Amino acid sequence: MLTDTIAAISTGGNNTGINIIRISGENSKKIIDEIFTASDKLDHQKIIYGKILDDDKVLDEVLVSYFIKPNSFTGENVCEINCHGGRRVTLNILELVIKKGARLAGPGEFSKRAFLNGKMDLSKAESIIDIINAKTKLQTKIATEQLEGGLYNIVKTEREKLIELLAQIEVSIDYPEYDYKELENNEIINKLKDISINLKKYINSYDDGKYIKDGINVAILGGTNAGKSSLLNILSNSDKAIVTDIEGTTRDIVEETVIIDDIVLNIFDTAGIRDTEDVVEKIGIKKSFAIIDKVDLIIIVIDLLKGLTEKDKELINKIMEKNKKYIICLNKIDVSHEKVGKVKKQLQSFKNVIETSFFTKEGIDTLKNKIAYMFNLEQISNDDSIIIVNQRHKELLDKSYTSLNKAINEIEKNIGVDIAEIDIKNSAKYLGEIIGEEVTSDVINKIFEKFCLGK
Amino acid sequence: MEYKAGKYDIVVIGGGHAGIEAALASARLGKKTAMFIINMDTLANMPCNPSIGGTSKGHLVREIDALGGQMGKAADACYIQSKMLNSSKGPAVHSLRAQIDRKKYHMYMKNTLENEENLDIYQAEVTDIIYDGKIKGIKTRTGAIYESKAVIVTTGTYLKGKVIIGEVSFESGPDGVFPANELSHSLQRMGIELRRFKTGTPARMNSKDLDFSKMEVQYGDDNVKTFSFDNEENKEILNKKQIKCYLTYTNLDTHKVIKENIHRSPLYSGEIKGIGPRYCPSIEDKVMRFKDKERHQIFIEPMGENTNESYIQGMSSSLPEEVQIKMYRTIPGLENSKMMRPAYAIEYDCIDPTNLNLSLEYKGLEGLFFAGQVNGSSGYEEAAAQGIIAGINATRKLDKKEPLILDRSEAYIGVLIDDLVTKGTNEPYRMMTSRSEYRLLLRQDNADLRLTEKGYNVGLVSKEKYNKFLNKREMIYSEIERIKNKKISPNEINNNILEKLGSSKLEVGVKLSELLKRTELNYANTKELDKDRPDLPESVQEQVEIQIKYEGYIKIQLEQIKGFKKLENRKLNSDIDYEKLKGLSLEARQKLNKQKPSSIGQASRISGVSPADISVLLIYINQINKKGDEFSHEND
Repeated sequence: MLTDTIAAISTGGNNTGINIIRISGENSKKIIDEIFTASDKLDHQKIIYGKILDDDKVLDEVLVSYFIKPNSFTGENVCEINCHGGRRVTLNILELVIKKGARLAGPGEFSKRAFLNGKMDLSKAESIIDIINAKTKLQTKIATEQLEGGLYNIVKTEREKLIELLAQIEVSIDYPEYDYKELENNEIINKLKDISINLKKYINSYDDGKYIKDGINVAILGGTNAGKSSLLNILSNSDKAIVTDIEGTTRDIVEETVIIDDIVLNIFDTAGIRDTEDVVEKIGIKKSFAIIDKVDLIIIVIDLLKGLTEKDKELINKIMEKNKKYIICLNKIDVSHEKVGKVKKQLQSFKNVIETSFFTKEGIDTLKNKIAYMFNLEQISNDDSIIIVNQRHKELLDKSYTSLNKAINEIEKNIGVDIAEIDIKNSAKYLGEIIGEEVTSDVINKIFEKFCLGK
Repeated sequence: MEYKAGKYDIVVIGGGHAGIEAALASARLGKKTAMFIINMDTLANMPCNPSIGGTSKGHLVREIDALGGQMGKAADACYIQSKMLNSSKGPAVHSLRAQIDRKKYHMYMKNTLENEENLDIYQAEVTDIIYDGKIKGIKTRTGAIYESKAVIVTTGTYLKGKVIIGEVSFESGPDGVFPANELSHSLQRMGIELRRFKTGTPARMNSKDLDFSKMEVQYGDDNVKTFSFDNEENKEILNKKQIKCYLTYTNLDTHKVIKENIHRSPLYSGEIKGIGPRYCPSIEDKVMRFKDKERHQIFIEPMGENTNESYIQGMSSSLPEEVQIKMYRTIPGLENSKMMRPAYAIEYDCIDPTNLNLSLEYKGLEGLFFAGQVNGSSGYEEAAAQGIIAGINATRKLDKKEPLILDRSEAYIGVLIDDLVTKGTNEPYRMMTSRSEYRLLLRQDNADLRLTEKGYNVGLVSKEKYNKFLNKREMIYSEIERIKNKKISPNEINNNILEKLGSSKLEVGVKLSELLKRTELNYANTKELDKDRPDLPESVQEQVEIQIKYEGYIKIQLEQIKGFKKLENRKLNSDIDYEKLKGLSLEARQKLNKQKPSSIGQASRISGVSPADISVLLIYINQINKKGDEFSHEND
């Protein structure tokens, strides 16, 4: 409980210039060692400049400070990453830190640890307890409110199915001689797969939720003078456009956020687009491919005056290869109407090809609608399907899903239902953590509710 | 008339399965011990089913054996049919169950107790526990006063026992023995709150009246396993001739009789007030609650080798006697049955186990221990498991030693006692494998590896048995080591062997331990691949196989246990006044003050104590630890 390593963004707000991710616990340095590369060595109370790497990909250039226990805020080993990317970059780094073994810190948890490790004096004791209490209560309150609607019900439903299944498995274990038809392996697998599909749907909805909350990351790519900057200007000049461009001299990606009709778009490499009109040319094909990795959507602008160039083809192939969402704009339709036919034919195997003129603004609405459609945004805001927005919920759903699939795998490999049952139990436990219920007694209650046993 | 009858260190009230283990543990640990039983002929009686073990209960018996208890040895000596349940499932849920010759079991235990050096057994009803802030002894109905420093109460279902058969009810213990009516008052005078629980048992029939040709035969296993680790290679026990049991079913006629007479059931008329167990409902309960079920299983289990009496498992009832006769006779094979003993329900006084410490000593009443059904459990094995722990801890109390407390990661006994003491129970508590969080580690096959050392340190396991155990453990470890280093090359001979076993061929060399993880391979069938394999006892081979095959899963559970232990090791003093801890919820304050948990871990399992309350407790104990000395000085 108090022994694992926790991490969280310790600066508030979406649009701060610098975000700090704090990691506290035994493994904090180990985690940093795995994701941080620098020419200097980390040492107590020293601040080091370097890069955060996810495999070979640079996420951000950062400053990392390190405090050895007990001389830190929490009294444990603490690392702090000062990153200067936007919200999205910060979240990516946090996710990486969690992937490497840290747990997302609960509210007030850093303070709690600081207190527990004697970093605060006794007079603060009661107020700290109050804060922890209040925070937990508030969190519970918010959680319940949020949970009361759809999420609570869907988690409860899926968990209920698991508990029911567990009861059936348990009854065959604890009452082996009773004349209940034991579940066949494939029956169990089918039931688990059903639940697994649902969980996956909810987990995926976190991305939808993210698109709503944090926006869609977009890259605009295309040849020189194809109209990329025009498109960017059209987008930026919309009524509600917010520009959060941070002057980034050391980074290769600059982000600009625009909001059009409630859709948040984070447009990557706007600087590149504005400067030279040819991102690919300027930063090189390799780097532009790196951008493709980082975004959710690529808008390819093709200059109808030039037709489909070799570079365009290469780019489109790469996007296909990476299986990314894309929209191809055949631009300058106003002045080269006669060429559309040929290019369209060349691209007939591709979906999402639209005709635009950034000069007359023809096709812009189509583009917006297309984006909304591709990311399910309309559907999400219109129907009441569940969206997971809370990262803790997503984490628990992920864990539940992983356990479930482990169980499926174990049953498929014939390892034994009593082993798989441990993972099914864990899966139910994680769902229970979302809605705050315990597994064991539930299973036992279910056994006696459902089955007629006894001497 | 009162008279001074004798002086003992420890007195055990009751001679059932809890009392026996308690008395033997105490006597074997050198304490002068007296055991009192209402009727000497009911010592170690099995007033319900004539069997020992079963799912998770078999685990308990093996744990008792590893600690140095008697139940496993007695069951091995007196079994008449043996079966490893769940053998088609994984090793964690294998459970041994044996049908027992009930009279033989009684004689075996009686004789064991008679021959125990420090132990005296008396037929007498204990009517009073003498207590004046300290345990002084007990008084019997005949006025005998026995002094003692500790008392272990193992009264089972005898306290104010009341038997109910339809509209008829009378004061009685089980099996027609008279109840203990006085002791309840004595306990209440000491401030102990009592509750009423209920259980029941089916009829016994004379097998000469039964037609077994209408039933399915149930055989025991050919390859018998023993409860006691001492008997693993005892040929006489392993090769014993076994009796048959039979299976038949209720039908719609049976259910009709029940439905027509349900208004005469004391459970439905409200006559029975005690809380009955969900896991052994009466047949009328089953029929009323599960209306869609057209038949229920009925097992016919002989009560012994030299008797015709048979136990009708699955049909406990508290319906009137004449309804019972009609009901039983609707069942195929039982058409001409005559009841030698009718089915009955029994109500009895028991305590709220949350008033006990994990040592099974009553909170605030030093030297007074409770074990078995009086604690709200049910089952012979659950009783015996508590009995041995109470016996050990009463002894250790007198010796001023720390109590032996098995935690949830160490034994089913630990799960059982922690469940009772920490969570409490609203119905007779039955052990189940699903109650254990660490089922994969708490297997019946490794109970000796888990507990022999503890039994030895306590003093119940002899040096000889311990050395034999160390030898076995060494064999297991070195064979696992060898298998982990044994390389199997991808040559033709090996691949042919693998192919024959239905396993895929090797491309590169692997360790034998890796091969063993394949589902189709096991320790025995890979012998050909492993020429230099030593000749090892079967129980050692079994351990090697399980520990290698399930290594990955075992590791995960061990990791979970580490986390669990951290909270268990954060101790809470019993003198903390939770009312004064700011930040705790009202419910948590009350529950914590009542139960006084011994650790943060235990506190976290009390219902009504939330994670936020646990944070507060953690903060609190850290403050205490930090301020340490100056705090405790103030308190002095």
